[in-house]
Amino acid sequence: MKHFVLFLMASISTSVAIAQTDYSKSLSGIEWVKIESKSDITLKTSSSNELLIKGSRHSKTTEKAKGLRLVGEGGSDNTEVGFYVIQDGNSLIVKNLRKSEGATIYLPKTQNVSVKSTWSGDIEIDGFSGEIEADAQLNGSIEIINVNGPVTANALNGEITVEFGKVKQDSPISIYTTNGEVDVTLPSDTPANLTLGTTNGDIYTNFEFKREEKDGLKSISGRKVKATINNGGVNISLKSTNGNIYLRK
Amino acid sequence: MEKNHVSNLLPGYLDNTLSEEATKKVEEHVSNCIQCKLELDEMKILFKAFEEEKLTVPTKRLTANFEAALAEEKSATSKVVSIGPVNKKSSWASNVFKIAASIALLVASFQMGRILQDKSFDQDLALLKDESLQLKQTAMLSLMENQSASKRIQGVSFIEEFTNPDEAIVKALGNRLLYDENDNVRLNAFEALSRFVTSENVKQVFIEALEVEKNPSIQIGIIQALIKIQEKKAIAPMQKLLEQEDTQPFVKNEINLGLPKIM
Repeated sequence: MKHFVLFLMASISTSVAIAQTDYSKSLSGIEWVKIESKSDITLKTSSSNELLIKGSRHSKTTEKAKGLRLVGEGGSDNTEVGFYVIQDGNSLIVKNLRKSEGATIYLPKTQNVSVKSTWSGDIEIDGFSGEIEADAQLNGSIEIINVNGPVTANALNGEITVEFGKVKQDSPISIYTTNGEVDVTLPSDTPANLTLGTTNGDIYTNFEFKREEKDGLKSISGRKVKATINNGGVNISLKSTNGNIYLRK
Repeated sequence: MEKNHVSNLLPGYLDNTLSEEATKKVEEHVSNCIQCKLELDEMKILFKAFEEEKLTVPTKRLTANFEAALAEEKSATSKVVSIGPVNKKSSWASNVFKIAASIALLVASFQMGRILQDKSFDQDLALLKDESLQLKQTAMLSLMENQSASKRIQGVSFIEEFTNPDEAIVKALGNRLLYDENDNVRLNAFEALSRFVTSENVKQVFIEALEVEKNPSIQIGIIQALIKIQEKKAIAPMQKLLEQEDTQPFVKNEINLGLPKIM
């Protein structure tokens, strides 16, 4: 028991210490949080209605940079954690200015988020129920787990993995890659209209498709598959140019 | 007092055909109401004009000519057809025939009315369909301006409801393909437009997009669509893509495979 109390105190004191290097901002009146980064970004949910950026451990400023301000292409550091944060209308623009150091960002569960990785940073998003837009423009990959809302994800060379919780909205879900794979997991009772298409890859699934029929003939074209599951519902389109597509229950 | 204007009594007053009471009422009102006084004066002038107008009497010669012409006409059509009941014993058969004819007429007019009504109902339905399409178009155009990419995709996918989209829709989709910041929206807009690739506007948008698009998936799609319809104007932007260093190798490959087919 003594050990436990000690451990508790230790963890509280460290969290207070870390809190000093964190950056937080209230999200009242903000509809969208738009994050842009060259390096890894992890999005997690928190219960308070604020943006909280936790810098990585190594993000202490070096001796030489002390007293100086970090200047990036998007703007200059106004958060002390290497980020440029500014409100634009009902959106909050959050830019990671450090090219090699990622961060974990905490947001309320229902927040609409848009994350863009412009270099090789991976995007990881966990547990949101609002709208999610993720764009890995170059080499980054995207992993979205435990989400309910509409997802729009696009990657060039990286792969996209999405694990849906219950899908109950009717806005379309759209996931595209150019060279990477698309790997999507849906609850087996999700009512949806599916469009799966890959130009040079293959499509794999363990869903029982009710394939679109034309004059009693089922389409067997490998490039594009249109099907409904559980009598149809939300539009889900998964596409890749050169990658494989995996759709799992 | 002023509200009970007496203008409808004025002609009678001028003709002296009103009862004493009414005459008194008119005089009393006119002395107070400028509007009615004016009306009365105007009417007086009009009546006077009527009286002064001379009655034109036709000349004797004209009368004589007319009488002569009338007599001539009378003698020409001397045979007078009697319109009295000629055949008093009408047979029961002709009566039945008359009744049948009137029933037939009734039925025919009823059917006619129904057909006409059906037609107008069809027109109403067509109008309603047209209106709902209009509504869809408005919804589609406004969704495409939404802040959320998913909503914009939803707007774009409304195109499936239109067999023959008008210029405003094609233009809005074209703007999505050319200027939307989200790759998924652009790809969806491309796919929506590719159904109408034979349209001159769509071709133009595709060629324009080929020059600015950076996403290789969309590049491939546009290249395939333009090669399929053998669009000659696409040759120049495709060759430009071949020369650019940042064009993905498989995009170049697609162009190299396709170009000979349209050149």
